[in-house]
Amino acid sequence: MVYGGRTKTMNLEIKDLTVRLYPKKYAGGYINVIDSVDLYVNGGEIAAVVGESGSGKSFLGLSIMRLNPPDVSEVVSGFVKIRCPAEKEALDIIRLNPKNLPSVRGRLVSIVFQDPNTSLNPVIKIGEQITEAIFAHKKMGKPEAKEIAISYLNRMNIDGKARFNAYPHELSGGMRQRVMIAMAMVLNPCFLIADEPTTALDVTTSLQVLSLIEKIKIESNLGIIFITHDLSIAKNISDKIYVFYAGQVMESGKTGEIMDNPLHPYTVSLINSVPSLAADYMPKQKLFTIPGYLTRDDFAEGKCRFYARCFKRDENCLKNIPLNEISGGRFVRCVKWKKK
Amino acid sequence: MRQMEKEIILNVLNLSKHYKYYKSIFDIKRDVIKAVDDITFGVFRNEIFAVVGETGCGKSTLAKLITGLISKTSGDIYYDGELLDYKDKKKNFRKKIQIVFQDPYSSLNPKKKIYKIISYPAVKNNIIKKKDRPDFAASLLKNVGLDEEILYGYPHELSGGQRQRVGIARSLSVGPELLILDEPVSALDMSISAQVLNLLMDLQAYDKMSYIFITHDLKIVRHIADRVCVMYGGKIMEISPSADFFKEPAHPYSTILYNSMLPYKFKKQLNFTDLNGKNTVPGLIGKEKGAEKGCAYFKKCYASKEICGKNEPPLKDVGNNRMASCFFPFTHQGL
Repeated sequence: MVYGGRTKTMNLEIKDLTVRLYPKKYAGGYINVIDSVDLYVNGGEIAAVVGESGSGKSFLGLSIMRLNPPDVSEVVSGFVKIRCPAEKEALDIIRLNPKNLPSVRGRLVSIVFQDPNTSLNPVIKIGEQITEAIFAHKKMGKPEAKEIAISYLNRMNIDGKARFNAYPHELSGGMRQRVMIAMAMVLNPCFLIADEPTTALDVTTSLQVLSLIEKIKIESNLGIIFITHDLSIAKNISDKIYVFYAGQVMESGKTGEIMDNPLHPYTVSLINSVPSLAADYMPKQKLFTIPGYLTRDDFAEGKCRFYARCFKRDENCLKNIPLNEISGGRFVRCVKWKKK
Repeated sequence: MRQMEKEIILNVLNLSKHYKYYKSIFDIKRDVIKAVDDITFGVFRNEIFAVVGETGCGKSTLAKLITGLISKTSGDIYYDGELLDYKDKKKNFRKKIQIVFQDPYSSLNPKKKIYKIISYPAVKNNIIKKKDRPDFAASLLKNVGLDEEILYGYPHELSGGQRQRVGIARSLSVGPELLILDEPVSALDMSISAQVLNLLMDLQAYDKMSYIFITHDLKIVRHIADRVCVMYGGKIMEISPSADFFKEPAHPYSTILYNSMLPYKFKKQLNFTDLNGKNTVPGLIGKEKGAEKGCAYFKKCYASKEICGKNEPPLKDVGNNRMASCFFPFTHQGL
């Protein structure tokens, strides 16, 4: 088959990535919308990036692809290194010549966006949109490319032959999202960035898309960065969780450890603010809430970024707080994680 | 704690809404989409009645029908024993039934100041005079946990959660008895949605209101609702008390919905196959051929037998104050 398991070492490593945003509204000012982020994904692994809207998690996805708008943002420090069997040596996307970027996007890393309704071109048949990606990278005859596209559609549980000539409006939301995934996977990339792929979908359809993502992960040993705001999805699909707040990783580690024993006050608040499904759960009680909302002031330097909304804050939090390693692979950006 | 004799505040009898359209421009006959098809239910006073279902199942159409934003095809709605008619100026049902919309970004007029937005329904209903608007709006803002200082601001200055609170305050301005909440938290972040849910529960307990809570998130339903109504294809599949529903859903479709919830405290292995074959992707509701005779969920049901395609199952009592429209209730997947 055109797709297949890869066994060689492959990983995506983000180290100390800082991206600065110069909003036009605030002339001269800037905010570090991504602030010294470390992230590591192996092949065949799903790393979930969890956070509220405005926390910079989608911007992280764009920065990894170098899709961040160049006129208002710049990468200040850090690197995004990709090791992939298709490449002889590690590739740093941040320092890559912009000319070579199109050959990396789609071939090594691809991205699936949130809203399938707006990310497909409504006047082009879906088969054509998928083969377009193939022609951009490979020299190939039309029938061959069509065969590949159909095989990928079949893999996404869509009848490829029947739907190859369909327009996006003829498909349901879940099918459109699966077409988007097929389009992202058609060049067999090593890494996939899934930016809230199920947010616009219904519960049952969303479950189908999630199980599909899990399936392709296993089949082609794919490394996935799964951006979501839903902790229950992150818990069920991911191997690692990175909790994001105001552009910083607040806590990271293995999924089980974080969900069973959250250490950062933000993670604790997030987990408690969602109604649980446990059998002993009592409905109709007050939910735990985080006061206020994420604002631009939270991005300021010289204090913990969660300071304004934290329930454990005191004067010790009014300084830049480093990401501490607690045990192997478990990081927390808080001075008080011990006093649980 | 619920009192023994429950008083029905809203009674919906055989309500239908059919949309007609031409399949193509050459068609002579019009096709019919049954958005809401012959449904009957009652909502008790001081109750949170949750309506769940997937996109296109008719739950938002139901909300619009009850608020009179669209006209019904057939059937009746009774409010407190009286026929619901918004044209009846004397009874003024608009004062009693209010709605909160899903999207807090598009449901507030961007050109109006907050105090005008909030007090407009009250001025229109002659509850307050025009000059009292700021004071009146300030007291309502306090009720929904917002600060007075946004009174003279515009909607764009507010965050999503604040806007949704303004939307709730606007609905509360006429002192309604029944509030219809059309996915009030689905556009909000999880921490903000917890704030809004707490507020809604407080208001309901304090003002003795009834809610019709429309959502697709079963976690919230379990947390907030007294009774659950599951809709599919414009039909009611099941009405059950919330506690019983989450122990054992009666209708096969409810079971599918229940199983597609991602549990939070324990890990469930995700299925690598579709939930029930390949046909789970919902099509346009009511458009399926053959669905006119039998059960709306017949084609996708794992428990369907021959009879389901021939006769339509009526909504009948299955014990324990529960209703389900299924010939084979409590059939579970894998049995």
